[in-house]
Amino acid sequence: MNKSDTVIRHIAFFFSLALYLTLLPVILSYSLGYHIDFHKLMIYKTGILSLRSTPLGASIYINGKLYPDTTPTRIEELRPGTYSVEVKREGFYTWQKELAVRSNMVTRAENILLFPTLQVTDKVSDRETENFFIPDDRSQVYYMTKSGLYRSNIDGTNPRKLSPYSEWPCDIIDKKLSPDGKKMLFFNKNGIWIIYLNGPISAKDGDIAEVEEVLKSPDIIKDVFWHSGSNHIIFVAGKDIDVLEIGKEGGKNIVTLNKCSQEPQGLYYDAYNDSLYFNDSPAGKSKLYRLDLREKFFGKLMERIKKEFDIIYDQK
Amino acid sequence: MTRNEKLRRFFEIVPGFMTWSTILGLIILSVFRPLWVAVFIICFDLYWVIRVGYFTTLLVFAYRRLNMEKKTDWLKKCKSAAGDGVLNYESIYHAILFPAYKEGPDILAASINALIGSNYDKKKMIVALTIEGRAGDDCWENAKELKRRFKDTFFEFIITRHPDGLKGEAKTKGANATWGAMVIREFVDAKRIDHEHVVMSCFDADTCADKEYFACLTYHYITNTKRSRSSYQPIPVYNNNIWYARSIARVIELGSSFMQMVETMRLEKFVTFSSHSMSFKTLVDVGYWPVDMISDDSVIYWKCFLHFNGDYSVIPMYVTVSLDIATEKAIIPTIIKQYKQKRRWAWGVENFPYLMMGFMNNRNIPLFKKIRRGFHLFESHYTWAVWAIIVTFIAPLPLIFGGGIFRQTTMGYSLPSVAAALFRITTITLLICMLMSIKLLPPRPKDVKRQKKLVMFTQWILAPLLAAFVGSTPAIDAQTRLMLGKYMHFHVTEKIRHGVTTN
Repeated sequence: MNKSDTVIRHIAFFFSLALYLTLLPVILSYSLGYHIDFHKLMIYKTGILSLRSTPLGASIYINGKLYPDTTPTRIEELRPGTYSVEVKREGFYTWQKELAVRSNMVTRAENILLFPTLQVTDKVSDRETENFFIPDDRSQVYYMTKSGLYRSNIDGTNPRKLSPYSEWPCDIIDKKLSPDGKKMLFFNKNGIWIIYLNGPISAKDGDIAEVEEVLKSPDIIKDVFWHSGSNHIIFVAGKDIDVLEIGKEGGKNIVTLNKCSQEPQGLYYDAYNDSLYFNDSPAGKSKLYRLDLREKFFGKLMERIKKEFDIIYDQK
Repeated sequence: MTRNEKLRRFFEIVPGFMTWSTILGLIILSVFRPLWVAVFIICFDLYWVIRVGYFTTLLVFAYRRLNMEKKTDWLKKCKSAAGDGVLNYESIYHAILFPAYKEGPDILAASINALIGSNYDKKKMIVALTIEGRAGDDCWENAKELKRRFKDTFFEFIITRHPDGLKGEAKTKGANATWGAMVIREFVDAKRIDHEHVVMSCFDADTCADKEYFACLTYHYITNTKRSRSSYQPIPVYNNNIWYARSIARVIELGSSFMQMVETMRLEKFVTFSSHSMSFKTLVDVGYWPVDMISDDSVIYWKCFLHFNGDYSVIPMYVTVSLDIATEKAIIPTIIKQYKQKRRWAWGVENFPYLMMGFMNNRNIPLFKKIRRGFHLFESHYTWAVWAIIVTFIAPLPLIFGGGIFRQTTMGYSLPSVAAALFRITTITLLICMLMSIKLLPPRPKDVKRQKKLVMFTQWILAPLLAAFVGSTPAIDAQTRLMLGKYMHFHVTEKIRHGVTTN
């Protein structure tokens, strides 16, 4: 190795060493949230503000002053304190919040959603609609009109009249599709109706569905659920939890499964396990109960109840 | 166990212990003190990036030097060399030793043909082929055939068979080379040639020396007044089968070549590696290569260093020797082969206890020199074992184990972006390596498609991935084995050229 190589090596070595010793405190202080003020020869603690909005590219105002960068960004070397942060974009509502920045910490506002100022509404149907229902798969929409029950695609295209039924009750509380997708129930505080969606696609308009009022209740109906088999409805009316076996032939079977001490509260139906959860307070203390309505148990229960009915009938 | 054995064992444990302490310590601290580890990672990343930048600078200058010296007419310089202590080049003999195991005649013939093609008087060359006895009769017959072919070309063509299982020997290349060197000594003594006038080159069986190698070596030897206190190190390039090797293997071996070029610029740390040359007198004086150590190429340097009380150096020669890339036809076997080869190189960590014991028994080497060389040797193996693990696997741990609270701190938030920004700088090194690898390529064989040159360029994108997975693991493996006293045996790398496989 000649002398020039040795000189080059020494220069490279000492330059690298100097570079390391210079850069290390700068990078470390930056990472640890310290800011070196070279003019005042002072070091002070800072925090970071991380902003991300949807849509991106929104302007940022910190304490009323426009920040040079747009979202997403991180604003570094902020002294600890509370900052008024505004995120603005033309055509969207302004997002505004007071954000606290703490030393050596990151304050994140990364889920800012800017809503457009001009909301666009699409008309799905021209018909005068009293009520409507969208199943969970969101593929179709059912709407109840004065001229009957209709179904169309979710965007309103391809409408078809399912049934001429038009005596829709007032104050419908909820609508629920059966697990097999072939029936739909709706109810208000006095009654339960079922729409049988059993007509073939090829059937002529108006013959595809049938609407039937399956129950008129003297007690106020609180909630109604489909049993997983789609042939039974569990409903809570007054203090009772009842089951209704549906079917067009031979009338309706109604059985009271549970009589609560008061109106059951906090109803939740676990459709996967066919269990009804509710609160009751038989001794003045509210407790959580579960009513197991699984197929096996349910079948046996119905059998037992039927036998009891038969005995009573025979005795009469 | 004697006191010396206990001490040796202690020094065997130190590198592995330090490596594992660092890795496990950082993992544990990531759980309990993520901030400390994050600070350490930034310090280490910056150190590593600047170190890479420093090495790249040295690499560029070494490459420039290699290019400049390519144009030198070394033989002319030998003829015109004069002055106090300068030897007459015509009085110099070259003993070229090829310790071989099962390498086939095609591999050895190519290496011998490279000698024939050299720009130097072949009648000044003593070629010795020492075949391992355990390699079998076929290998011995091949050696005899090679002798028949080449005996009239050189001053002498010696073939010898190294008996297996000699007392005190392990199955190492050093044992075979020592046997060959002793046979050469018999010949040299019989011819009454002064040992100082013989330059010994110990080559791997696949080493093809550049045509200027011996002229360049002779010039450095005759003009060096401390010729017997120096080894002479060429730059190893892996060109023999580069057009046929797998990309993975090419990137790893080119990386080794570049590292060796960098080392030529760091004289005070320079140690012999792979094929190199030295005075035959020195070799005889120090008692040849150790016969029970695997890393014969570097340990001979330390043996000389200790023998001459620290007054021993390595002279870099900007001339190349070409070797085979350890490759296979499929990717996984190539990775395994590369891994085993790198582990064998990493087994050079056995030099650390050897050197430490040597230092303890030698009072003539200045303490500062002992500390400096000892530290350099330890640091090189330690860094090799930990760098890729820290950079790749430890770096994300503070964020993983530090939890939400750490991620809410400015350090937790900045760590990934700071580390990424730092390592983005190293792409400059990658670009330089890409360009240099193209420049160092031998001519494309006719049966290789033109597009392959593009692959030679783009293959470097594999570098970060390879660094992560095979950067440190062979070194950890070797150090752990040494720490646990599970000593390695010499593993001969199988050579594969175009369509030919030999051991």
